[in-house]
Amino acid sequence: MAIITISRGSYSKGKEVAEKVAARLGYECISREVLLDASDRFNIPEVRLIRAIHDAPSILDRFSHGKQAFMAYIRYALACRAQKDNLVYHGLAGHVLLLGIPHVLKVRVIANLEDRVKSEMSREKISEEEARSLILRDDQERRKWTRSLYGLDPWDSALYDLVLHIHKLTVDDAVAFICEAAKLKQFESTPETRRKMDDLVTACEVKALLADEYMDVRVACEFGNVLIYTKSGGRLQHKLQESARKLGREIKGIHHVEVHPGVPTPAQAV
Amino acid sequence: MEQLTPEMILVMAMIGVAVFLFIVEWVRVDVVAILMMVALPLLHLVTPKEAFIGLSSNAVVSIIAVIIIGAGLDRTGIINKMVKPIVRIAGNSPSRIVIAISFTVAIISSFMQNIGAAALFLPAIQRVSKSLRIPISRLLMPIGFSAILGGTVTLVGSSPLILLNDLIAPFNLKPFGLFDVTPIGLGLVISGIACFVLFGKFILPKGPDAASDQQGQEDGSSPLEEIGEAYELKTPDDFTHYRDPVRIDDLRRRYLVNVVAIVEPPDFKIVNPPPDMELRSGMDLAVYGVERDVKRMAEQEGMFLKDSLQVFQNEVAEGTSGAVEAVVAPRSPLVGKTLRQIDLQDRFRVTPLAIYRHGEIYRAEIGDLALGVGDAILLHGTWKRLKALQGEKSLLFTTPIDVDLMRPEKAVFAGFWLATALIMIMIFKIQLSVCLMTGALGMVITKVLTIDEAYQSVDWRTIFLLAGLIPLGIATEKTGTAAWIAHAVLNTIGTVNPMVLLSIIGLLSTVFTLVVSNVGATVLLVPLVVNMAIAANADPRMAALVVGLATNNSFILPTHQVNALYMGPGRYRSVDFMKAGAVVSVVFLAVLIGIISLVYGI
Repeated sequence: MAIITISRGSYSKGKEVAEKVAARLGYECISREVLLDASDRFNIPEVRLIRAIHDAPSILDRFSHGKQAFMAYIRYALACRAQKDNLVYHGLAGHVLLLGIPHVLKVRVIANLEDRVKSEMSREKISEEEARSLILRDDQERRKWTRSLYGLDPWDSALYDLVLHIHKLTVDDAVAFICEAAKLKQFESTPETRRKMDDLVTACEVKALLADEYMDVRVACEFGNVLIYTKSGGRLQHKLQESARKLGREIKGIHHVEVHPGVPTPAQAV
Repeated sequence: MEQLTPEMILVMAMIGVAVFLFIVEWVRVDVVAILMMVALPLLHLVTPKEAFIGLSSNAVVSIIAVIIIGAGLDRTGIINKMVKPIVRIAGNSPSRIVIAISFTVAIISSFMQNIGAAALFLPAIQRVSKSLRIPISRLLMPIGFSAILGGTVTLVGSSPLILLNDLIAPFNLKPFGLFDVTPIGLGLVISGIACFVLFGKFILPKGPDAASDQQGQEDGSSPLEEIGEAYELKTPDDFTHYRDPVRIDDLRRRYLVNVVAIVEPPDFKIVNPPPDMELRSGMDLAVYGVERDVKRMAEQEGMFLKDSLQVFQNEVAEGTSGAVEAVVAPRSPLVGKTLRQIDLQDRFRVTPLAIYRHGEIYRAEIGDLALGVGDAILLHGTWKRLKALQGEKSLLFTTPIDVDLMRPEKAVFAGFWLATALIMIMIFKIQLSVCLMTGALGMVITKVLTIDEAYQSVDWRTIFLLAGLIPLGIATEKTGTAAWIAHAVLNTIGTVNPMVLLSIIGLLSTVFTLVVSNVGATVLLVPLVVNMAIAANADPRMAALVVGLATNNSFILPTHQVNALYMGPGRYRSVDFMKAGAVVSVVFLAVLIGIISLVYGI
């Protein structure tokens, strides 16, 4: 009864670990499915979502804020999947997207650089030089992505409950560790953690439905009370209040909605 | 035309700096004024003596005296007593009530600071609104506008007019008498009230009943009252078994329900318990909340909701405690602070329930909201503690608390000294500041208010705003900057009819007052328009008078203190002020120019 997120670099055997963990615990194992859900729900071509989740935001994105909206869709899709519990997610940024949920076991799987270079060489049939630069560039890109969107460094081990280095440890060893950890009491879902999960889903849904039209809104939800934070009043505030009220009536599980302009946003807001 | 000297350029630069700082508000307006007071002598634009002459000016002393007299009248509570007979005379018709109260406010405002008169009437207006079921939004704006307009009825009614005689003194113009402006002022007040009586339906926001239809049932017609419903609950005997402790603050965050009193078993009653207090088994709770939320809480937390108040009949009943609406006063030290920083709960043991701002109600996480002028806070507490909070004077209570600080028995003295001051001005023609100070001193001596109360009532921000901007006016005049700008403007627009010139001056003053405050606009514009009028062969006194009056014409934006104060309680939005303010502003200018041409025959 847990949610396991596995953060990984390319060629780090993370996918293999995830699949084996899911198989052993009988959990669902997802990654791309989240994008498909989001693409279905919000009618956005999957390609655009992939681009959003892969490339770091460019200067242009800062103006169009398309990426923010896409990330809100993806986050909502993931939160919906996670709400069902018993899940292994090995897509990008699971640890940040499910922030604040207590029964999430956050794992990072890393591998020896030399091993990764070798895997890449054999799969892509390229020289060692090329493979190395490709991998390093990929790492850099992902790092930039999380930094620019969430201000977090994926290589910061403090973000995870477990960091496993696949080199001396084999994939099966890693799977054993993770399964063992997942059985711990801390990662059991309780009414309290499920409530937090429901709140996160609600917050993500509100954010996803607002993100398209309003830039820089952050949404927090606690016990079904939704607070929407915006930078300042401005001319959109009245409209935002109207939309918020409408959402409050439409989305199930919302008891109360308020828009708070110019208030420092709490960390748990999505 | 004169040559542009380096001094003139420097003065213009300083005016530019002042206007810029007024607009961006990096520092408060009175600090800008003090900056001018210090910078001008340092730049050798005025002598050190001139720099501080504002502090001893007729205008500043008059303002101090007017504030003290106002505070004295306030202490006696005569004003609140005046409302009852007025309402009785007016009957039940909303228009007649608007006319009656507006006119009274205008008259009082003509001898007091506008904001003081407006604040005094706020509680009374709310009571009238409640008892006669007239939407508060129909009453407050007309009355607020009348308080501002009333400032034009006498020469001591508003800061710009008090300043006027000081500003025209360097030009050797004949000073204005106390009632010289009265015909114009009364005309303005009458036309302002007429605007609302005739066009009120179109320019005032629709009553809350109409708005609630759009918002659906959830946001009922008067949410503050809806929140102020008290319920009583009891926790079961096994409340704390097998669960994390539940604190009072948790209930507020989960269900938006405020616990205002508890009984710890066996019978230890606590009114307004601290938020970090844990709930225990067999506890009685009195809460304020929306029925829906209270029921949800009772169900989910397994509490028993009682049909009526039982244990807390005395504690939550009107006699000892209650929920009151308090408005953040202009220039209150609370502006810009959050409720969490102010910590009313700890300091006064009162519980904030909700905040009302710009037509929106806030119930969740209100501790994080930074307060602004005119925000209405719904507070629950015992009368004793609320009274202590009222004594702080940072909040205006719209529900009157039985206040023993009042000295109604001194009403006769207060009236006597006000009359004495007025007689001295009118009959003996003694200088304004001396007469008013006599009245203020008389009130202190006859113990209408103590000297300390008199000192405390003086608002230093107003004093320094006035005193600091006066040297800027002196510098513009002394260096010839005003004359230079006036000539430059007249050269560009060519010769104009005096009436057109006065209209332009009126319009210019209106725009300036919205941007740089009424005092700033007056100080900057009076030297300018006097020079313009002299050059254009118009009456310079009238030009100055138009500035002094038109700088009260700030209705379009809620920047005037009175408008800012009434915005929250009236549930107005900025749009509402633009709509009504635009009409009143245009009428104001037309009436002003019309009466000046009729009375003074230009």
